[in-house]
Amino acid sequence: MCSMRLSELWRTTTARLTLLYGLVFALGVPVLLGAVYLQSSIYLTQRIDIVLQAAADTLERVPRPELPRRIEEAEAINGSLAVFGLFSADGRWLAGNLTALPAGLPDDNKPKELPLTPRARTLRITVRSLPGGETLVVGRDINQLREMRAIIASASLWSGVTILVAGLGCGVALSIAPLRRLRSMQAAAQDIAAGNLKRRMPISRSGDELDVFADAVNYMMSEVERLMNEIKGATETIAHDLRTPLTRARAQLHRLQQAPEIGAADISRVVGEIDTVLERFRALLRISELEARERRAGFSRVDLSDIARQAVDLYQPLAESQGVNLSLGPLRGVMVEADPKLLFEAVSNLVDNAIKFSGASRGPGGRVVVSLGPDERPAQIVIDDNGPGIAEGERLAVLQRFYRSEDKRLIPGSGLGLSIVAAIVRLHRFELALQDLPVGLRAVIDCTDPTEGLAELPPER
Amino acid sequence: MSPRILVIEDDVDTSDEIAALLTTSGFETRRSLDGGEGLKLALSEPFDAITLDRILPGYDGLEVVSRLREAGRHTPVLMVSALGDVDDRVAGLRAGGDDYMIKPFAPVELLARLEVLLRRRSAGEPQLLLRVGDLELDLVSREARRGQRRIELLPREFKLLEYMMRNAGQMLSRRMIFEEVWEYYFDPGTNLIEVHVAKLRKKIDTPGEASLIRTERGSGYVLDAP
Repeated sequence: MCSMRLSELWRTTTARLTLLYGLVFALGVPVLLGAVYLQSSIYLTQRIDIVLQAAADTLERVPRPELPRRIEEAEAINGSLAVFGLFSADGRWLAGNLTALPAGLPDDNKPKELPLTPRARTLRITVRSLPGGETLVVGRDINQLREMRAIIASASLWSGVTILVAGLGCGVALSIAPLRRLRSMQAAAQDIAAGNLKRRMPISRSGDELDVFADAVNYMMSEVERLMNEIKGATETIAHDLRTPLTRARAQLHRLQQAPEIGAADISRVVGEIDTVLERFRALLRISELEARERRAGFSRVDLSDIARQAVDLYQPLAESQGVNLSLGPLRGVMVEADPKLLFEAVSNLVDNAIKFSGASRGPGGRVVVSLGPDERPAQIVIDDNGPGIAEGERLAVLQRFYRSEDKRLIPGSGLGLSIVAAIVRLHRFELALQDLPVGLRAVIDCTDPTEGLAELPPER
Repeated sequence: MSPRILVIEDDVDTSDEIAALLTTSGFETRRSLDGGEGLKLALSEPFDAITLDRILPGYDGLEVVSRLREAGRHTPVLMVSALGDVDDRVAGLRAGGDDYMIKPFAPVELLARLEVLLRRRSAGEPQLLLRVGDLELDLVSREARRGQRRIELLPREFKLLEYMMRNAGQMLSRRMIFEEVWEYYFDPGTNLIEVHVAKLRKKIDTPGEASLIRTERGSGYVLDAP
């Protein structure tokens, strides 16, 4: 197997899914952290503002002469994070650790965030104008909040990158195995397409979706292989069976070409050979029509006794002319779901065969009985004859297209009668069985509907 | 005047062959290789019958015949098709075809079916009594007579004789007989119809009488006055 390219890995579903999840996480983490940051910073700012307002209110109420001392006390209590400043009306420093009046001071009573340039600090500040015209500034260093923002941003970035990289890695790792299997399936498919119908899709036995798919493909391939073999077999026998009459016709035409005079009998012999070919073609077409037919197209309730009776009526004169005794067994009304014309065609073919073979082997002693079979299997049409029967090994073969038992080649016919019967029976999902009798052959069309009694099952697709 | 036949068939060789066959049999033929053109011809000129391939370029055979019928033309149509299934036949006849023949066919069969169609068209009044030579078939009392002799017939034999007498003088192939009398459309094999006709013949012709049913070797049967 050749190596996998990364671009190919990307195209696997697993890699894409893993990457997609990674992306969702990588975006989700900053959003989550950001939300936490936003909530807590709002909360903290509110707390700071309350403290600032309270401190400013307290200092505002202090009598003016005591104010510088109280500011110093407050500074001592609150530590370095607190900022106080008292400035005269013209902006001169009077008291507090804030030595210059910052620009952009807010209005009274409204706390504001203010960057303090010299030491790169950020303050939260509130301002009061005192009755004497002085300005009181109370503030608090909120650099912690800014630092927290930076920490969260870098955490988001790193976690996002880590998740993405891990996702990519997992995606690649997880895709390698399916891709490898896909590759071997692809190889199998190419092999099949190149003509190796025996090749099958590899199955990992883990029972995952690829296995289910491979199983389905393998089943399909078995069917295709079976059909291809059938077609191959059929084509060969067709070629063989058509060549015989065509060769004979050609030989006769060749002889006529040399003959000084051509008689009508000569020509009708050639026509006879060609008629044989045409008859076989017609039968072949009939079989392919039957096989391509949609099931149940012409189905209705059919009485098997009617079919048996009509078949015996139709074939009685033929049987008489061959000295074969054709009779009807005991009948009773048995209704089945079938295409009456097709079922009749199948029964006719079986009766025709039975008369042909029992007549040919027994002459006047031939006997054919059409009945509905013994009671225990209710829906059957049974045709018994006392002809030579069919050797057990040949029974499957005679149902295939064009097969004719070697020693029976002298009996006229397209050789396709039984194949037509088989095709009709398959179409109905009935069963055709050929059984030995002590003397002769029994052909049974079992019309028991295999789906009967399964009505509660969903209909087949 | 010889009957005029329109041959609508897209395969040039088959078309040539049908036309040659019809011409030598005394028909006047026009040919068309596609459905649309064929339909136009059929609508613009008078024809006594049409042979129509089922699968054609342009309009297919079913469409041609149904459009023809929609336009109120009752020209007999013989449909010729490689599709021989009962369903295809039903579709062909339902669309307005008068007869349906499966390819490959023997030339005599085509001629015979055309003749039967032409005759059916010119039959006119429904007949109550069929007569061929001294053979009579009463369709009302359902009795058959040859001269003074009464002939007992089974229902199927009656139907067979009626079909043959209606088409007296016309060759009827085994398949045509099987389709018309038994209404089955599969290949009945060579001997099956043969023995039915032989049985009927035995009832109609007694020794000493001239035989009315003639066998055309390899193709079919003709019932005709001697």
